[in-house]
Amino acid sequence: MLLRSTGYTREIKEKEDREKELWVTGDVGLALMPGRQRETETAARLGANSSLYAKFSDEGSAKTPALTREQVQPRGSKGNLKYCLVILNQPLDKCFRRLWHKALLRACADGGANRLYDATEGERESFLPEFISGDFDSIRPEVSEYYAIKGCELISTPDQDHTDFTKCLEVLQKKIAEKDLQVDVIVTLGGLAGRFDQIMASVSTLFQATRITPLPVTIIQEESLICLLQPGKHKLCVDTGLEGEWCGLIPVGQPCKRVTTTGLKWNLTNHMLSFGTLVSTSNTYDGSGVVTVETDHPLLWTMAIKT
Amino acid sequence: MEHAITPLEPLLPAGNLKYCLVILNQPLDKCFRRLWHKALLRACADGGANRLYDATEGERESFLPEFISGDFDSIRPEVSEYYAIKGCELISTPDQDHTDFTKCLEVLQKKIAEKDLQVDVIVTLGGLAGRFDQIMASVSTLFQATRITPLPVTIIQEESLICLLQPGKHKLCVDTGLEGEWCGLIPVGQPCKRVTTTGLKWNLTNHMLSFGTLVSTSNTYDGSGVVTVETDHPLLWTMAIKT
Repeated sequence: MLLRSTGYTREIKEKEDREKELWVTGDVGLALMPGRQRETETAARLGANSSLYAKFSDEGSAKTPALTREQVQPRGSKGNLKYCLVILNQPLDKCFRRLWHKALLRACADGGANRLYDATEGERESFLPEFISGDFDSIRPEVSEYYAIKGCELISTPDQDHTDFTKCLEVLQKKIAEKDLQVDVIVTLGGLAGRFDQIMASVSTLFQATRITPLPVTIIQEESLICLLQPGKHKLCVDTGLEGEWCGLIPVGQPCKRVTTTGLKWNLTNHMLSFGTLVSTSNTYDGSGVVTVETDHPLLWTMAIKT
Repeated sequence: MEHAITPLEPLLPAGNLKYCLVILNQPLDKCFRRLWHKALLRACADGGANRLYDATEGERESFLPEFISGDFDSIRPEVSEYYAIKGCELISTPDQDHTDFTKCLEVLQKKIAEKDLQVDVIVTLGGLAGRFDQIMASVSTLFQATRITPLPVTIIQEESLICLLQPGKHKLCVDTGLEGEWCGLIPVGQPCKRVTTTGLKWNLTNHMLSFGTLVSTSNTYDGSGVVTVETDHPLLWTMAIKT
Protein backbone atom coordinates (compact mmCIF):
# COMPACT_ATOMS: atom_id res chain seq x y z
CA MET A 1 0.00 0.00 0.00
CA LEU A 2 2.21 2.73 -1.31
CA LEU A 3 0.05 5.66 -0.38
CA ARG A 4 1.47 9.09 -0.57
CA SER A 5 0.32 11.91 1.58
CA THR A 6 -1.45 13.67 -1.25
CA GLY A 7 -5.02 14.17 -2.26
CA TYR A 8 -4.70 11.24 -4.60
CA THR A 9 -4.41 8.97 -1.63
CA ARG A 10 -7.82 9.96 -0.36
CA GLU A 11 -9.25 9.26 -3.80
CA ILE A 12 -7.93 5.74 -3.69
CA LYS A 13 -9.38 5.18 -0.27
CA GLU A 14 -12.78 6.38 -1.30
CA LYS A 15 -12.99 3.99 -4.18
CA GLU A 16 -15.42 1.14 -3.57
CA ASP A 17 -13.22 -1.50 -5.04
CA ARG A 18 -10.13 -1.00 -2.95
CA GLU A 19 -7.19 -3.00 -4.06
CA LYS A 20 -3.90 -2.16 -2.60
CA GLU A 21 -0.45 -3.43 -3.20
CA LEU A 22 1.25 -3.60 0.08
CA TRP A 23 4.94 -3.80 -0.32
CA VAL A 24 5.37 -4.47 3.34
CA THR A 25 8.42 -6.59 3.32
CA GLY A 26 9.54 -4.96 0.16
CA ASP A 27 9.39 -1.71 2.05
CA VAL A 28 11.26 -3.04 5.01
CA GLY A 29 13.55 -5.13 2.89
CA LEU A 30 14.55 -2.15 0.84
CA ALA A 31 15.05 -0.15 3.95
CA LEU A 32 17.33 -2.80 5.34
CA MET A 33 19.27 -3.44 2.15
CA PRO A 34 22.18 -1.12 1.60
CA GLY A 35 21.87 0.83 -1.61
CA ARG A 36 19.89 -1.67 -3.59
CA GLN A 37 17.95 -0.36 -6.52
CA ARG A 38 14.83 -2.06 -7.59
CA GLU A 39 13.91 -0.16 -10.65
CA THR A 40 11.72 -2.84 -12.08
CA GLU A 41 9.55 -2.69 -9.02
CA THR A 42 9.35 1.07 -9.04
CA ALA A 43 6.70 1.15 -11.70
CA ALA A 44 4.79 -1.55 -9.89
CA ARG A 45 4.84 0.51 -6.75
CA LEU A 46 2.56 3.00 -8.35
CA GLY A 47 -0.11 0.59 -7.32
CA ALA A 48 -3.56 1.42 -8.47
CA ASN A 49 -2.55 3.44 -11.44
CA SER A 50 -0.19 1.00 -13.04
CA SER A 51 -0.91 -1.87 -15.33
CA LEU A 52 -0.48 -4.18 -12.37
CA TYR A 53 -3.64 -2.75 -10.86
CA ALA A 54 -5.68 -4.26 -13.65
CA LYS A 55 -3.79 -7.52 -13.24
CA PHE A 56 -4.95 -7.99 -9.70
CA SER A 57 -8.50 -7.00 -10.41
CA ASP A 58 -9.28 -10.56 -11.32
CA GLU A 59 -12.97 -10.00 -11.03
CA GLY A 60 -12.84 -7.42 -13.75
CA SER A 61 -14.60 -4.84 -11.69
CA ALA A 62 -11.62 -2.67 -10.91
CA LYS A 63 -12.12 0.96 -11.40
CA THR A 64 -9.06 2.74 -12.60
CA PRO A 65 -8.65 5.88 -10.58
CA ALA A 66 -7.90 9.08 -12.35
CA LEU A 67 -4.24 9.27 -13.17
CA THR A 68 -2.15 12.22 -12.30
CA ARG A 69 1.04 13.07 -14.06
CA GLU A 70 3.01 12.56 -10.92
CA GLN A 71 2.01 8.97 -10.45
CA VAL A 72 2.63 7.72 -13.97
CA GLN A 73 6.28 8.56 -13.74
CA PRO A 74 8.56 6.35 -11.77
CA ARG A 75 9.44 7.85 -8.50
CA GLY A 76 13.05 8.78 -8.88
CA SER A 77 15.64 6.94 -10.89
CA LYS A 78 17.02 4.94 -7.99
CA GLY A 79 13.76 3.59 -6.66
CA ASN A 80 14.78 4.10 -3.07
CA LEU A 81 12.13 3.57 -0.48
CA LYS A 82 11.11 6.73 1.32
CA TYR A 83 10.32 6.16 4.96
CA CYS A 84 10.31 7.82 8.33
CA LEU A 85 11.59 6.16 11.45
CA VAL A 86 10.03 6.15 14.91
CA ILE A 87 11.91 4.77 17.88
CA LEU A 88 9.95 3.46 20.86
CA ASN A 89 11.12 2.58 24.35
CA GLN A 90 12.53 -0.89 23.76
CA PRO A 91 16.06 -2.21 23.29
CA LEU A 92 17.24 -1.16 19.84
CA ASP A 93 17.86 -3.90 17.31
CA LYS A 94 21.06 -3.86 15.31
CA CYS A 95 19.18 -3.02 12.13
CA PHE A 96 18.47 0.45 13.47
CA ARG A 97 21.71 1.84 12.09
CA ARG A 98 20.90 0.83 8.54
CA LEU A 99 17.36 2.08 8.99
CA TRP A 100 18.51 5.35 10.49
CA HIS A 101 20.71 6.60 7.72
CA LYS A 102 18.23 6.17 4.89
CA ALA A 103 15.24 7.59 6.73
CA LEU A 104 13.75 10.92 5.69
CA LEU A 105 12.74 11.85 9.22
CA ARG A 106 13.59 10.25 12.53
CA ALA A 107 11.74 10.63 15.77
CA CYS A 108 11.82 9.19 19.25
CA ALA A 109 8.80 8.64 21.42
CA ASP A 110 9.80 9.58 24.98
CA GLY A 111 11.96 6.77 26.39
CA GLY A 112 12.93 5.79 22.87
CA ALA A 113 15.41 8.64 23.16
CA ASN A 114 17.09 6.86 26.08
CA ARG A 115 17.50 3.80 23.90
CA LEU A 116 18.99 5.83 21.07
CA TYR A 117 21.30 7.71 23.42
CA ASP A 118 22.58 4.52 25.01
CA ALA A 119 22.99 2.66 21.74
CA THR A 120 24.99 5.41 20.05
CA GLU A 121 27.58 6.16 22.68
CA GLY A 122 30.65 7.66 21.03
CA GLU A 123 28.80 8.59 17.86
CA ARG A 124 25.70 10.34 19.13
CA GLU A 125 26.12 13.29 16.79
CA SER A 126 25.51 10.98 13.85
CA PHE A 127 22.20 9.89 15.32
CA LEU A 128 20.26 13.02 16.12
CA PRO A 129 16.50 12.71 15.71
CA GLU A 130 14.50 15.51 14.17
CA PHE A 131 12.28 15.48 17.21
CA ILE A 132 11.50 13.71 20.44
CA SER A 133 7.91 13.77 21.56
CA GLY A 134 6.00 12.41 24.52
CA ASP A 135 4.87 13.20 28.03
CA PHE A 136 8.52 12.89 29.04
CA ASP A 137 7.94 10.65 32.00
CA SER A 138 10.48 8.14 30.69
CA ILE A 139 13.24 10.19 29.07
CA ARG A 140 16.20 10.74 31.35
CA PRO A 141 17.11 14.36 32.09
CA GLU A 142 20.64 14.05 30.70
CA VAL A 143 19.22 12.57 27.51
CA SER A 144 16.68 15.30 26.88
CA GLU A 145 19.34 17.90 27.71
CA TYR A 146 21.78 16.38 25.26
CA TYR A 147 19.38 16.27 22.35
CA ALA A 148 18.00 19.73 23.14
CA ILE A 149 21.50 21.21 23.07
CA LYS A 150 22.16 19.45 19.78
CA GLY A 151 19.17 21.12 18.22
CA CYS A 152 16.61 18.33 18.28
CA GLU A 153 13.07 19.51 18.80
CA LEU A 154 11.50 18.39 22.05
CA ILE A 155 7.74 18.33 21.72
CA SER A 156 5.62 17.79 24.77
CA THR A 157 2.48 15.73 24.14
CA PRO A 158 0.91 15.46 27.58
CA ASP A 159 -2.49 14.04 26.54
CA GLN A 160 -3.03 11.03 28.76
CA ASP A 161 -5.75 9.55 26.58
CA HIS A 162 -3.24 8.49 23.96
CA THR A 163 0.11 6.81 24.09
CA ASP A 164 3.41 8.48 23.30
CA PHE A 165 3.55 6.40 20.13
CA THR A 166 0.18 7.57 18.88
CA LYS A 167 1.03 11.19 19.61
CA CYS A 168 4.42 10.83 17.96
CA LEU A 169 2.70 9.69 14.77
CA GLU A 170 0.51 12.78 14.91
CA VAL A 171 3.53 15.06 15.18
CA LEU A 172 5.33 13.13 12.46
CA GLN A 173 2.43 13.33 10.04
CA LYS A 174 2.21 17.05 10.66
CA LYS A 175 5.89 17.47 9.81
CA ILE A 176 5.60 15.30 6.73
CA ALA A 177 2.76 17.51 5.53
CA GLU A 178 4.55 20.74 6.46
CA LYS A 179 7.67 19.70 4.59
CA ASP A 180 5.57 18.28 1.76
CA LEU A 181 7.55 15.07 1.87
CA GLN A 182 6.83 12.10 -0.32
CA VAL A 183 6.83 9.19 2.10
CA ASP A 184 5.97 5.57 1.45
CA VAL A 185 5.87 4.10 4.93
CA ILE A 186 6.49 4.83 8.59
CA VAL A 187 8.75 2.25 10.18
CA THR A 188 8.61 1.88 13.94
CA LEU A 189 11.24 0.17 16.06
CA GLY A 190 10.18 -1.40 19.34
CA GLY A 191 6.73 -1.95 20.79
CA LEU A 192 6.50 -5.72 20.44
CA ALA A 193 8.14 -6.83 23.66
CA GLY A 194 8.16 -5.96 27.34
CA ARG A 195 5.04 -5.03 29.25
CA PHE A 196 2.05 -6.84 27.80
CA ASP A 197 -0.22 -3.80 28.02
CA GLN A 198 2.33 -1.81 26.02
CA ILE A 199 2.48 -4.47 23.33
CA MET A 200 -1.29 -4.20 23.03
CA ALA A 201 -1.01 -0.41 23.03
CA SER A 202 1.32 -0.66 20.01
CA VAL A 203 -1.27 -2.72 18.18
CA SER A 204 -3.92 -0.23 19.22
CA THR A 205 -1.87 2.59 17.72
CA LEU A 206 -1.93 0.82 14.36
CA PHE A 207 -5.72 1.09 14.50
CA GLN A 208 -5.47 4.76 15.49
CA ALA A 209 -2.96 5.37 12.72
CA THR A 210 -5.59 5.26 10.01
CA ARG A 211 -7.12 8.47 11.33
CA ILE A 212 -3.69 10.08 11.81
CA THR A 213 -1.83 9.37 8.60
CA PRO A 214 -2.61 7.90 5.18
CA LEU A 215 0.74 6.15 5.28
CA PRO A 216 1.18 2.51 6.19
CA VAL A 217 2.80 2.02 9.58
CA THR A 218 4.88 -1.04 10.32
CA ILE A 219 6.35 -2.06 13.66
CA ILE A 220 9.53 -4.09 13.96
CA GLN A 221 11.24 -5.58 16.96
CA GLU A 222 13.72 -8.42 17.08
CA GLU A 223 12.50 -11.01 14.62
CA SER A 224 8.91 -9.78 14.33
CA LEU A 225 7.12 -7.30 12.10
CA ILE A 226 3.48 -6.31 12.31
CA CYS A 227 1.24 -4.09 10.24
CA LEU A 228 -2.49 -3.65 9.95
CA LEU A 229 -4.22 -4.58 6.70
CA GLN A 230 -7.34 -2.50 6.13
CA PRO A 231 -10.43 -4.08 4.58
CA GLY A 232 -9.78 -4.86 0.92
CA LYS A 233 -7.17 -6.72 -1.08
CA HIS A 234 -3.49 -6.61 -0.35
CA LYS A 235 -0.41 -7.90 -2.10
CA LEU A 236 2.62 -8.54 0.06
CA CYS A 237 5.92 -9.13 -1.66
CA VAL A 238 7.88 -11.49 0.51
CA ASP A 239 10.86 -12.15 -1.69
CA THR A 240 13.46 -9.73 -0.37
CA GLY A 241 15.45 -12.60 1.07
CA LEU A 242 15.06 -11.08 4.53
CA GLU A 243 11.89 -12.98 5.35
CA GLY A 244 12.08 -15.53 8.13
CA GLU A 245 10.01 -18.70 8.20
CA TRP A 246 6.83 -17.86 9.99
CA CYS A 247 3.98 -15.49 9.36
CA GLY A 248 0.44 -15.02 10.59
CA LEU A 249 -2.87 -13.23 10.33
CA ILE A 250 -4.35 -12.03 13.60
CA PRO A 251 -7.95 -10.75 13.82
CA VAL A 252 -7.12 -8.63 16.80
CA GLY A 253 -10.00 -6.23 17.07
CA GLN A 254 -12.93 -8.13 15.64
CA PRO A 255 -13.75 -11.27 13.70
CA CYS A 256 -12.84 -11.16 10.04
CA LYS A 257 -15.64 -13.14 8.54
CA ARG A 258 -14.26 -13.54 5.05
CA VAL A 259 -10.55 -13.86 4.58
CA THR A 260 -8.97 -15.19 1.40
CA THR A 261 -5.26 -15.66 0.92
CA THR A 262 -2.77 -16.94 -1.60
CA GLY A 263 0.92 -17.57 -1.23
CA LEU A 264 0.76 -19.10 2.21
CA LYS A 265 1.36 -22.71 3.12
CA TRP A 266 -2.05 -22.76 4.79
CA ASN A 267 -4.28 -20.54 2.71
CA LEU A 268 -7.79 -19.40 3.49
CA THR A 269 -10.74 -19.16 1.14
CA ASN A 270 -13.53 -16.97 2.43
CA HIS A 271 -12.71 -18.27 5.88
CA MET A 272 -13.53 -16.69 9.19
CA LEU A 273 -10.65 -15.65 11.40
CA SER A 274 -11.45 -14.78 14.99
CA PHE A 275 -10.23 -15.37 18.50
CA GLY A 276 -12.22 -18.37 19.57
CA THR A 277 -12.48 -19.98 16.15
CA LEU A 278 -9.28 -19.62 14.12
CA VAL A 279 -6.21 -17.41 14.32
CA SER A 280 -3.47 -17.97 11.76
CA THR A 281 -0.12 -18.36 13.52
CA SER A 282 2.98 -20.37 12.61
CA ASN A 283 1.94 -20.10 8.99
CA THR A 284 4.58 -19.95 6.30
CA TYR A 285 5.04 -19.34 2.57
CA ASP A 286 4.43 -21.50 -0.47
CA GLY A 287 7.60 -20.28 -2.15
CA SER A 288 5.98 -18.05 -4.75
CA GLY A 289 7.37 -14.92 -3.12
CA VAL A 290 4.00 -13.21 -3.08
CA VAL A 291 1.18 -13.31 -0.56
CA THR A 292 -2.24 -11.86 -1.23
CA VAL A 293 -4.73 -11.20 1.53
CA GLU A 294 -8.33 -10.15 1.13
CA THR A 295 -10.22 -9.24 4.28
CA ASP A 296 -13.52 -7.68 5.24
CA HIS A 297 -12.24 -6.19 8.49
CA PRO A 298 -8.87 -4.86 9.67
CA LEU A 299 -6.50 -7.78 9.98
CA LEU A 300 -3.06 -7.77 11.53
CA TRP A 301 -0.28 -9.22 9.37
CA THR A 302 2.77 -10.49 11.20
CA MET A 303 5.93 -12.06 9.87
CA ALA A 304 9.42 -13.13 10.76
CA ILE A 305 12.50 -11.17 9.87
CA LYS A 306 15.59 -13.28 9.33
CA THR A 307 18.09 -12.65 12.07
CA MET B 1 -22.86 -14.70 38.42
CA GLU B 2 -19.78 -13.14 39.86
CA HIS B 3 -16.36 -14.72 39.57
CA ALA B 4 -13.69 -13.91 42.10
CA ILE B 5 -10.01 -14.41 41.51
CA THR B 6 -6.78 -13.26 43.06
CA PRO B 7 -4.57 -13.36 39.99
CA LEU B 8 -1.25 -13.29 41.80
CA GLU B 9 -2.21 -15.71 44.54
CA PRO B 10 -0.13 -18.57 43.08
CA LEU B 11 2.96 -16.43 43.54
CA LEU B 12 2.42 -16.02 47.27
CA PRO B 13 4.88 -18.07 49.32
CA ALA B 14 2.20 -19.18 51.76
CA GLY B 15 -1.34 -20.24 50.96
CA ASN B 16 -3.36 -23.22 49.92
CA LEU B 17 -4.24 -22.34 46.38
CA LYS B 18 -4.58 -25.46 44.26
CA TYR B 19 -3.10 -24.97 40.84
CA CYS B 20 -1.44 -26.79 38.01
CA LEU B 21 1.60 -25.45 36.19
CA VAL B 22 2.27 -25.39 32.45
CA ILE B 23 5.67 -24.39 31.13
CA LEU B 24 5.93 -22.96 27.61
CA ASN B 25 8.97 -22.39 25.42
CA GLN B 26 10.25 -19.12 26.83
CA PRO B 27 13.03 -18.25 29.28
CA LEU B 28 11.92 -19.30 32.75
CA ASP B 29 11.39 -16.57 35.28
CA LYS B 30 12.86 -16.95 38.74
CA CYS B 31 9.41 -17.36 40.26
CA PHE B 32 9.12 -20.78 38.62
CA ARG B 33 10.79 -22.52 41.56
CA ARG B 34 8.25 -21.25 44.03
CA LEU B 35 5.46 -22.06 41.60
CA TRP B 36 6.81 -25.53 40.93
CA HIS B 37 6.87 -26.90 44.42
CA LYS B 38 3.30 -26.06 45.37
CA ALA B 39 1.73 -27.14 42.09
CA LEU B 40 -0.53 -30.20 41.99
CA LEU B 41 0.52 -31.15 38.48
CA ARG B 42 3.27 -29.82 36.29
CA ALA B 43 3.55 -30.08 32.54
CA CYS B 44 5.78 -28.80 29.78
CA ALA B 45 4.61 -27.96 26.28
CA ASP B 46 7.31 -29.17 23.88
CA GLY B 47 10.24 -26.73 24.06
CA GLY B 48 9.17 -25.74 27.55
CA ALA B 49 10.98 -28.91 28.58
CA ASN B 50 14.24 -27.48 27.20
CA ARG B 51 13.75 -24.41 29.35
CA LEU B 52 13.11 -26.50 32.44
CA TYR B 53 16.07 -28.77 31.74
CA ASP B 54 18.44 -25.84 31.26
CA ALA B 55 17.16 -23.91 34.27
CA THR B 56 17.47 -26.83 36.68
CA GLU B 57 20.99 -28.03 35.96
CA GLY B 58 22.36 -29.84 38.99
CA GLU B 59 18.93 -30.39 40.52
CA ARG B 60 16.89 -31.76 37.66
CA GLU B 61 15.52 -34.63 39.71
CA SER B 62 13.67 -32.15 41.88
CA PHE B 63 11.94 -30.69 38.84
CA LEU B 64 10.38 -33.57 36.96
CA PRO B 65 7.13 -32.75 35.18
CA GLU B 66 4.25 -35.20 35.22
CA PHE B 67 4.17 -35.02 31.45
CA ILE B 68 5.59 -33.29 28.43
CA SER B 69 3.29 -32.94 25.47
CA GLY B 70 3.57 -31.46 22.02
CA ASP B 71 4.53 -32.24 18.46
CA PHE B 72 8.13 -32.46 19.71
CA ASP B 73 9.61 -30.29 17.01
CA SER B 74 11.28 -28.08 19.61
CA ILE B 75 12.34 -30.39 22.44
CA ARG B 76 15.98 -31.43 22.21
CA PRO B 77 16.67 -35.19 21.96
CA GLU B 78 18.79 -35.30 25.12
CA VAL B 79 16.03 -33.49 26.99
CA SER B 80 13.24 -35.84 25.99
CA GLU B 81 15.53 -38.80 26.69
CA TYR B 82 16.35 -37.51 30.14
CA TYR B 83 12.76 -36.95 31.19
CA ALA B 84 11.62 -40.22 29.63
CA ILE B 85 14.23 -42.15 31.60
CA LYS B 86 13.15 -40.37 34.75
CA GLY B 87 9.60 -41.55 34.29
CA CYS B 88 7.93 -38.44 32.89
CA GLU B 89 5.20 -39.19 30.43
CA LEU B 90 5.89 -38.01 26.90
CA ILE B 91 2.64 -37.46 25.05
CA SER B 92 2.70 -36.74 21.38
CA THR B 93 0.06 -34.28 20.21
CA PRO B 94 0.75 -33.92 16.48
CA ASP B 95 -2.41 -32.02 15.49
CA GLN B 96 -1.19 -29.05 13.47
CA ASP B 97 -4.45 -27.14 13.80
CA HIS B 98 -3.75 -26.33 17.42
CA THR B 99 -0.71 -25.11 19.27
CA ASP B 100 1.31 -27.17 21.71
CA PHE B 101 -0.08 -25.00 24.50
CA THR B 102 -3.70 -25.65 23.58
CA LYS B 103 -3.07 -29.38 23.31
CA CYS B 104 -1.20 -29.40 26.60
CA LEU B 105 -4.24 -27.92 28.30
CA GLU B 106 -6.36 -30.69 26.83
CA VAL B 107 -4.06 -33.36 28.22
CA LEU B 108 -3.86 -31.56 31.56
CA GLN B 109 -7.61 -31.28 31.91
CA LYS B 110 -7.94 -34.96 31.15
CA LYS B 111 -5.50 -35.85 33.90
CA ILE B 112 -7.16 -33.50 36.36
CA ALA B 113 -10.44 -35.27 35.67
CA GLU B 114 -8.88 -38.75 35.81
CA LYS B 115 -7.25 -38.04 39.13
CA ASP B 116 -10.36 -36.23 40.33
CA LEU B 117 -8.28 -33.29 41.50
CA GLN B 118 -9.70 -30.13 43.00
CA VAL B 119 -7.95 -27.35 41.14
CA ASP B 120 -8.54 -23.61 41.35
CA VAL B 121 -6.47 -22.33 38.45
CA ILE B 122 -4.02 -23.33 35.74
CA VAL B 123 -0.91 -21.16 35.77
CA THR B 124 1.16 -20.93 32.61
CA LEU B 125 4.72 -19.67 32.42
CA GLY B 126 5.90 -18.12 29.18
CA GLY B 127 4.00 -17.18 26.07
CA LEU B 128 4.10 -13.40 26.37
CA ALA B 129 7.41 -12.64 24.67
CA GLY B 130 9.37 -13.65 21.62
CA ARG B 131 7.74 -14.25 18.25
CA PHE B 132 4.75 -11.99 17.84
CA ASP B 133 2.62 -14.71 16.27
CA GLN B 134 3.32 -16.95 19.26
CA ILE B 135 2.28 -14.21 21.69
CA MET B 136 -1.00 -13.97 19.80
CA ALA B 137 -1.28 -17.76 19.80
CA SER B 138 -1.04 -17.70 23.61
CA VAL B 139 -3.91 -15.25 23.75
CA SER B 140 -5.82 -17.40 21.30
CA THR B 141 -5.36 -20.41 23.58
CA LEU B 142 -7.07 -18.50 26.39
CA PHE B 143 -10.10 -18.28 24.14
CA GLN B 144 -9.85 -21.99 23.32
CA ALA B 145 -9.44 -22.81 26.99
CA THR B 146 -13.09 -22.23 27.77
CA ARG B 147 -14.03 -25.26 25.69
CA ILE B 148 -11.18 -27.33 27.15
CA THR B 149 -11.36 -26.73 30.89
CA PRO B 150 -13.73 -25.06 33.34
CA LEU B 151 -10.74 -23.72 35.23
CA PRO B 152 -9.38 -20.21 34.83
CA VAL B 153 -6.07 -20.10 32.97
CA THR B 154 -3.53 -17.37 33.62
CA ILE B 155 -0.31 -16.71 31.75
CA ILE B 156 2.72 -15.14 33.37
CA GLN B 157 6.01 -14.02 31.91
CA GLU B 158 8.48 -11.52 33.31
CA GLU B 159 6.43 -8.70 34.77
CA SER B 160 3.19 -9.43 32.94
CA LEU B 161 0.14 -11.55 33.67
CA ILE B 162 -2.85 -12.05 31.42
CA CYS B 163 -6.13 -13.87 31.81
CA LEU B 164 -9.39 -13.81 29.91
CA LEU B 165 -12.51 -12.55 31.67
CA GLN B 166 -15.65 -14.16 30.27
CA PRO B 167 -18.84 -12.14 29.86
CA GLY B 168 -20.27 -11.32 33.26
CA LYS B 169 -19.03 -9.83 36.49
CA HIS B 170 -15.59 -10.40 37.94
CA LYS B 171 -13.94 -9.47 41.17
CA LEU B 172 -10.15 -9.31 41.10
CA CYS B 173 -8.32 -9.13 44.40
CA VAL B 174 -5.18 -7.11 43.82
CA ASP B 175 -3.93 -6.77 47.38
CA THR B 176 -1.38 -9.58 47.60
CA GLY B 177 1.43 -7.04 47.73
CA LEU B 178 2.88 -8.58 44.56
CA GLU B 179 0.99 -6.31 42.19
CA GLY B 180 3.06 -3.91 40.10
CA GLU B 181 1.83 -0.51 39.02
CA TRP B 182 0.13 -0.99 35.71
CA CYS B 183 -2.87 -2.92 34.54
CA GLY B 184 -5.14 -2.95 31.51
CA LEU B 185 -8.22 -4.27 29.80
CA ILE B 186 -7.72 -5.38 26.22
CA PRO B 187 -10.74 -6.15 24.01
CA VAL B 188 -8.94 -8.76 21.96
CA GLY B 189 -11.07 -10.52 19.43
CA GLN B 190 -14.10 -8.30 19.41
CA PRO B 191 -15.41 -4.99 20.77
CA CYS B 192 -16.77 -5.03 24.29
CA LYS B 193 -19.64 -2.65 24.05
CA ARG B 194 -20.43 -2.31 27.72
CA VAL B 195 -17.63 -2.45 30.23
CA THR B 196 -17.97 -1.23 33.78
CA THR B 197 -15.16 -1.22 36.30
CA THR B 198 -14.38 -0.17 39.84
CA GLY B 199 -11.08 -0.07 41.65
CA LEU B 200 -9.05 1.36 38.79
CA LYS B 201 -7.59 4.83 38.51
CA TRP B 202 -9.43 5.28 35.23
CA ASN B 203 -12.69 3.43 35.58
CA LEU B 204 -15.27 2.73 32.91
CA THR B 205 -19.02 2.97 33.16
CA ASN B 206 -20.86 1.10 30.43
CA HIS B 207 -18.08 2.17 28.11
CA MET B 208 -17.09 0.56 24.84
CA LEU B 209 -13.63 -0.93 24.58
CA SER B 210 -12.38 -1.85 21.14
CA PHE B 211 -9.32 -1.58 18.97
CA GLY B 212 -9.95 1.61 17.09
CA THR B 213 -11.90 3.38 19.83
CA LEU B 214 -10.49 2.70 23.28
CA VAL B 215 -8.14 0.12 24.76
CA SER B 216 -7.27 0.43 28.44
CA THR B 217 -3.49 0.30 28.89
CA SER B 218 -1.21 1.92 31.47
CA ASN B 219 -4.14 1.93 33.87
CA THR B 220 -3.54 1.53 37.59
CA TYR B 221 -5.33 1.00 40.89
CA ASP B 222 -7.25 3.31 43.17
CA GLY B 223 -5.79 1.75 46.29
CA SER B 224 -8.86 -0.15 47.41
CA GLY B 225 -7.23 -3.49 46.71
CA VAL B 226 -10.18 -4.76 44.69
CA VAL B 227 -11.03 -4.35 41.03
CA THR B 228 -14.40 -5.30 39.60
CA VAL B 229 -14.98 -5.74 35.88
CA GLU B 230 -18.27 -6.31 34.16
CA THR B 231 -18.17 -7.06 30.46
CA ASP B 232 -20.51 -8.20 27.72
CA HIS B 233 -17.83 -9.98 25.71
CA PRO B 234 -14.59 -11.78 26.60
CA LEU B 235 -12.11 -9.20 27.80
CA LEU B 236 -8.42 -9.72 28.47
CA TRP B 237 -7.19 -8.55 31.86
CA THR B 238 -3.49 -7.78 32.13
CA MET B 239 -1.45 -6.60 35.07
CA ALA B 240 2.04 -6.02 36.32
CA ILE B 241 3.83 -8.33 38.70
CA LYS B 242 6.28 -6.63 41.00
CA THR B 243 9.80 -7.71 40.12
